[in-house]
Amino acid sequence: MTITYVLMQNLKRNPLRAALTATAFSLPMAVFVAAISLVVLLANVAASAAKELRLGVHQKTSLTNLLPEGMRRKIEALDPQKEHLHAVCGMRWFGGRVPDTQNTLTSLAADADTFPIVYSDVQMTEEETARWLSEKTACVVGFATAEQYGWKPGDRLTLESTVPPYLTLEFKIVKVMQNAERSSVFYFRRDYLEDSLKAAGFDDPRCNIFWIKCKTAEGLRTLQQRIDAAFANSPEETKSEDENAFAANFTQAAGNLPGLMQAMAVVVVFIIALVAGNTMMMSFRERIRELAVFKAIGFQSSRIFAIVLAESTMLALIGALAGVIPASLFLLLVPIRNLRMGPISSFEVSPLAIVVSIAIALLVGLVAGLWPAYQAHRLRTVDALRKVA
Amino acid sequence: MSTAEIELRNVRKVYYKERLEIPVLEGLDLDVATGDFVVLMGPSGSGKSTLLHLIGGLDTPTSGAVRVGDANLERMNERQLTAWRSRNVGFIFQMYHLVPVLTAAQNVELPLLLFRMSSAERRQRVITALNVVGLADRMDHRPNQLSGGQEQRVAIARAIVTDPRLILADEPTGDLDAKTSEEILGLLNVLNTEFEKTIIMVTHDPRAAAHGKRRLHLDKGALYSDERATVRAVAAASS
Ligand SMILES: Nc1ncnc2c1ncn2[C@@H]1O[C@H](COP(=O)(O)OP(=O)(O)O)[C@@H](O)[C@H]1O
Ligand SMILES: [Mg+2]
Repeated sequence: MTITYVLMQNLKRNPLRAALTATAFSLPMAVFVAAISLVVLLANVAASAAKELRLGVHQKTSLTNLLPEGMRRKIEALDPQKEHLHAVCGMRWFGGRVPDTQNTLTSLAADADTFPIVYSDVQMTEEETARWLSEKTACVVGFATAEQYGWKPGDRLTLESTVPPYLTLEFKIVKVMQNAERSSVFYFRRDYLEDSLKAAGFDDPRCNIFWIKCKTAEGLRTLQQRIDAAFANSPEETKSEDENAFAANFTQAAGNLPGLMQAMAVVVVFIIALVAGNTMMMSFRERIRELAVFKAIGFQSSRIFAIVLAESTMLALIGALAGVIPASLFLLLVPIRNLRMGPISSFEVSPLAIVVSIAIALLVGLVAGLWPAYQAHRLRTVDALRKVA
Repeated sequence: MSTAEIELRNVRKVYYKERLEIPVLEGLDLDVATGDFVVLMGPSGSGKSTLLHLIGGLDTPTSGAVRVGDANLERMNERQLTAWRSRNVGFIFQMYHLVPVLTAAQNVELPLLLFRMSSAERRQRVITALNVVGLADRMDHRPNQLSGGQEQRVAIARAIVTDPRLILADEPTGDLDAKTSEEILGLLNVLNTEFEKTIIMVTHDPRAAAHGKRRLHLDKGALYSDERATVRAVAAASS
């Protein structure tokens, strides 16, 4: 027999109470794992976007108001020495969907020459770039979408547009993108779209947005001001935002999710601390005389302190594991990427989330056990036993 | 060194309640020889438990000296007293105080967790202690599956498993019926005579008192009438 065994047996003393207290740990920890994983994902998306130093220029009032194609030249002319500017890529929304399905893909037509530069994070190989540049029907597609429709590089496919004039186009996949933030996006060449529109009687080479790859963060700020100043008070008045601002807008739309979760986490942690502390205090009070006898037998006060603390921590750990393990398995097994909610497609259980959740539980268990452990430490055998008689 | 196993000199114990002095023991002297079986009697609140706690190193005197073996308890701090207790004293209480979630054998094993020894030796010691109290066949029972008398036997086994020189019992039969009390007292006699344990037992029960070799009365802070109980009295009470 070891003291650990004695501790484990102690938890069985009042199984219902122990189970309820453990549940007070397991449920929030299960939610924590999912929530922290989500925050980690959002942070990753924001971080990788920041690294790419892209500036998006669109019509001031709305992304749906198109800007003339010539804008690209005008933007390039604002930095002729290419001091800050790397390349400009015009984009046009296609709104395509696979025939006989309901979901419209995030499908965009992009300038063929500059797409591989502006979207260097897509990491096209030389061979893929060559194929992109040589084949007019070339397209690149995010891994989640590719997985959903069973597409591989080299496959041919057809998309029909959901916006006038409802073109139906054929494509050939040159790459499946592995980026988390582009897991369900579809890019193809804008000259292909332009020509197809022209063939259908629509000569409309305009763009929704121009993406500008900048050389430095400072250069990005400079260009942002220059561009918006240059087109101010013109029919093509623009608004320039970097991708971070886009991500921030996105999270703001979601109601400042990380901040809200943090606030909720603090409240929840506080509540479990109270629940666990109450349980530990009750279980300590029931055992005052028993612990007094432990001391009489020769257990040092420091050891009694450790025993009570260990019991509380153990209860917390058992509760946390009972929440974290099923939650992780659930998140791993249920195909969340099929939800196809942009970045969520690359959702995975963050090891950090597991470590943090268990650490929080241990800490709360420790804190909850402190007061009863202190009481047990200063408990005097003679006083505790006298209360019997 | 004096021949006495236990030696108390001018021991005073004063409690304080709301700044009020409550003198409990007022200058006690006591010698207990090795192998003695002392029965301590006296009215409720006279300080019997207090005296037992001082001898067992659970409490320290306000003034005076308490020597047990070669240990001067009044000079030791709490840590030292605790370590000393683990090796030298076995306590038996009125309410047994067993751990309900552990079996009889595991309860007896508890004090051995403080010692470095092989699990085989530990097991052997537990079985020996349970054999002495006649409960080897109940070793896997939990306290709630045992009668009061059996629980007290387990508590006695727990007190002797470390082989202490001194056994201190505070009203060990206070919660038991007459017949079971006799069994427990007989067991204490065996520990005293066969295993040569020095025993001090507090009791209210005159029949229980007859089991000791020597009777002391504590009243109003002083020890009285140190009369020798005859061996015949023990025989008469147990027949
Ligand atoms: N911690 C304490 N504070 C104040 N008074 C105490 C304390 N412990 C014991 N006493 C008092 O000391 C006296 C002796 O108590 P005790 O040794 O338990 O007596 P007995 O065991 O003979 O019944 C009692 O009057 C009791 O109220
Ligand atoms: Mg008493």
